[in-house]
Amino acid sequence: MPAPLLELRQITKSFGGARALRGVDFDLRAGEIHALLGENGAGKSTLIKVITGAHAADAGTLALEGAPLRHHQPASAHAAGIACIYQQPALFPDLTVAENIALRLESGSPWRRVDWRDRHAQASRWLTRLGAHIDPGTEAGELSMPEQQLVEIACALGAGARVLLMDEPTASLTPREQEKLFSLIRDLRQTGVGIIYISHRLEEIFALADRVTVLRDGASVGTRSISDVTESELIRMMVGRDLTSAPAPAEARPGGAVLVLRGVGCSATGVRDVSLELRAGEVFGVAGLVGAGRTELARVLFGLTPADAGEILLDGREVSIRSPRQAMALGLAYVPEDRRRHGAILELPVSHNLTLASHARVFPRGWLRPQAERELARRFITQLSVRCSSPEETTGALSGGNQQKIALARWLATCPRVLLLDEPTQGVDVGAKSEIHGLIRDLTRQGIAVLLISSDLSEILALSDRIGVMRGGTLPAILPGRSTAAEVMAAALGQEEKRAP
Amino acid sequence: MPSHRQRPAAFLLSHEMLLLYVVIAEWIFFYLAGTGVNRRGVVIGFGTLDRQFDVLRHSCEIGLLALALTPVILTAGIDLSVGSLLGLCAVMFGVFWHDAGLPLVVAALLTLGVGALGGGLNATLIAGLRLPPLIVTLGTYSLYRGLAEAITRGSVTYTDFPPAFLFLGQERWLGLPTQAWVFLGFATVLWLLIHRTTLGRSCRAIGFAPEGACFAGLPVGRHLATFYVIAGSISAVAALVYTARLGQAKADAGNGYELFAITAVVLGGTSIFGGTGSVTGTLLGVAAIAILKNGLACLPAVMRLNAAEEMAGLMTGALLLLALTAGAVSRIWASFRRPPAAGVQPSPSPPA
Repeated sequence: MPAPLLELRQITKSFGGARALRGVDFDLRAGEIHALLGENGAGKSTLIKVITGAHAADAGTLALEGAPLRHHQPASAHAAGIACIYQQPALFPDLTVAENIALRLESGSPWRRVDWRDRHAQASRWLTRLGAHIDPGTEAGELSMPEQQLVEIACALGAGARVLLMDEPTASLTPREQEKLFSLIRDLRQTGVGIIYISHRLEEIFALADRVTVLRDGASVGTRSISDVTESELIRMMVGRDLTSAPAPAEARPGGAVLVLRGVGCSATGVRDVSLELRAGEVFGVAGLVGAGRTELARVLFGLTPADAGEILLDGREVSIRSPRQAMALGLAYVPEDRRRHGAILELPVSHNLTLASHARVFPRGWLRPQAERELARRFITQLSVRCSSPEETTGALSGGNQQKIALARWLATCPRVLLLDEPTQGVDVGAKSEIHGLIRDLTRQGIAVLLISSDLSEILALSDRIGVMRGGTLPAILPGRSTAAEVMAAALGQEEKRAP
Repeated sequence: MPSHRQRPAAFLLSHEMLLLYVVIAEWIFFYLAGTGVNRRGVVIGFGTLDRQFDVLRHSCEIGLLALALTPVILTAGIDLSVGSLLGLCAVMFGVFWHDAGLPLVVAALLTLGVGALGGGLNATLIAGLRLPPLIVTLGTYSLYRGLAEAITRGSVTYTDFPPAFLFLGQERWLGLPTQAWVFLGFATVLWLLIHRTTLGRSCRAIGFAPEGACFAGLPVGRHLATFYVIAGSISAVAALVYTARLGQAKADAGNGYELFAITAVVLGGTSIFGGTGSVTGTLLGVAAIAILKNGLACLPAVMRLNAAEEMAGLMTGALLLLALTAGAVSRIWASFRRPPAAGVQPSPSPPA
């Protein structure tokens, strides 16, 4: 048997303390479409970046047709014939198609003469081979999304790519464009190109792939031939068997509905027709794949991108939330996903960050009261066991978990009734994570309604009283808190009709 | 930002203290080199009380503009129009008092209104329409100066102001030049505003991270607008002081002052990128520039190469660049000496 086209052995990669890949084996044959599947954060993106040379693996080997790739970097990956088509085409919108292709294919001195006729001929040659009717003189920005993808593929093939990575290439395509892309991909397979296909859509994988590899928690769960695997089997591989029975959520006795959403939408961010009821003292988990519109929903509720459809009711009274200030005045609090840019101001001392959202409460007349501020800071530092040398320490000097606690405490200081948590434990170490989980349970006991957005399914399952699953900006399914990971994942993938047993 | 519990060594080497040493050194140098005795045995030059008061008088207008700019620059903004607005306000004061025949107090209050309106236009464009402050105030910089020239047709000079008004710019009150009291008053108010109120706290937050401030629910737009209106109003005060000192109001009043004011603020340690800075620093920055300008004029002709103005510009520029370089060098030095301790370095965000 000949050596596989691309072979990865025991690839590991860590970021700080977090291990993104822990010994992944993967192989790709020539003339094969090999799907890569996994939950958010399973390590797909990291694996892609290792293959394209954007990240150097900490350990493990890569081999192309049996020959090991050493000092693997983007340039050497390019030279070896590895190309990646991203979700968002990365063309220069103001340059023509021919120029875009030439930029990737031509090399040499920046002072050499440009042979325009040759450039155009070359561009048309590759585009024709793909069956694309695109004039090489068009500016790339004028092309439709699928046309831009075709140009990307032309670049890749022109550069002699033998390994083609495609990261959710159908995310922004209409069904017909999708079908065209599929037939193109099948044609490419005939020519002996190996294709690594990443997608969340199971039906695409069944329609296209020859084999599928499932990643979970940075490790490969297994590689199967597509003909002897079923959808529910794949889902089970993705979520893991150990997760099917969720630890019992704290015995919460949710009170009445605090926040009610009826058909809420925001056309600017793609949130559509979301209806839900958030009760006092409950954790409402919001699950969904990346791009399902979860953060966008939180931003609508916090007035960052105000809703333009449907109604929002607080205590049965219709309210309009047009700005964060209005949201705050109504007792809402939002701990955003991006802690470093939005959650806390890293240059400020811990105590300043803690009081930033509650100036009016802590400093009633607008005069700073250092004594009161320090006391409040000390109280929260103790309550959340934040590890810092003093309330005056710069927030940026704390570890990620402690920064996250500051971002949380800032909003607890406002005494909110509704707490929107967006990925509250992302990039946080295990200890801080369980502390934050304990805190969330405490808060619900005080009657605070918590909307918990998380890509970490185990977190959603462990904390939620009910679980809303978002897909494509909508909230099609609300599952009970004791659902299994497979049920949630099935709903997130769009298969809520046929629930796993 | 100086923390509440700084070690003494760190305090003595803080930006403000270093600048204070420079100011003291400047003063001693000019006192020794710029003071002399004339043929009749009278002390002349930098060391005389009159000369010291002159330094104070000359620094008041630029000092007021620098105070106005401090909160604006703390928000990572800039206002290039303050000098031009000073000119427009001076001319408008002449119009109100001389042409319209309004009482002095009414004319002065209306002038303050013009300043607030001028700041208000900046505020509307910057905070309301979210246009970049540099470009907006570059536009109003030309606009306000142009308006002042149009109103005076480039030639009218308002003079003959009554002594009651000239008292503000040319006399002394309680032993100090009158305008020095105005300046000290505003310095106190701005110091309280920036260092002792939530508004000042907010302007740092906005300067460090405008998006982060918005996510914390701060009314970013309203705060920004406030600071630009304050800047405009203080420009009007500076216009009154300027007019009273010279006894005349012309369209070219305060020409180029905005650059001196920005220099003083940045020299005082306020970061042009926003967030860090202090009113004390700004005051020291103003002092460093004012002493330099006036001191050079007192030096014997040989030493200042017969060109005090040019020499002052040169020295101011050198001082600013030196201060910036010193800051950068100390930052690099600190990053060399601090080992990357575990848990201190923010870990790279994990991949999605």
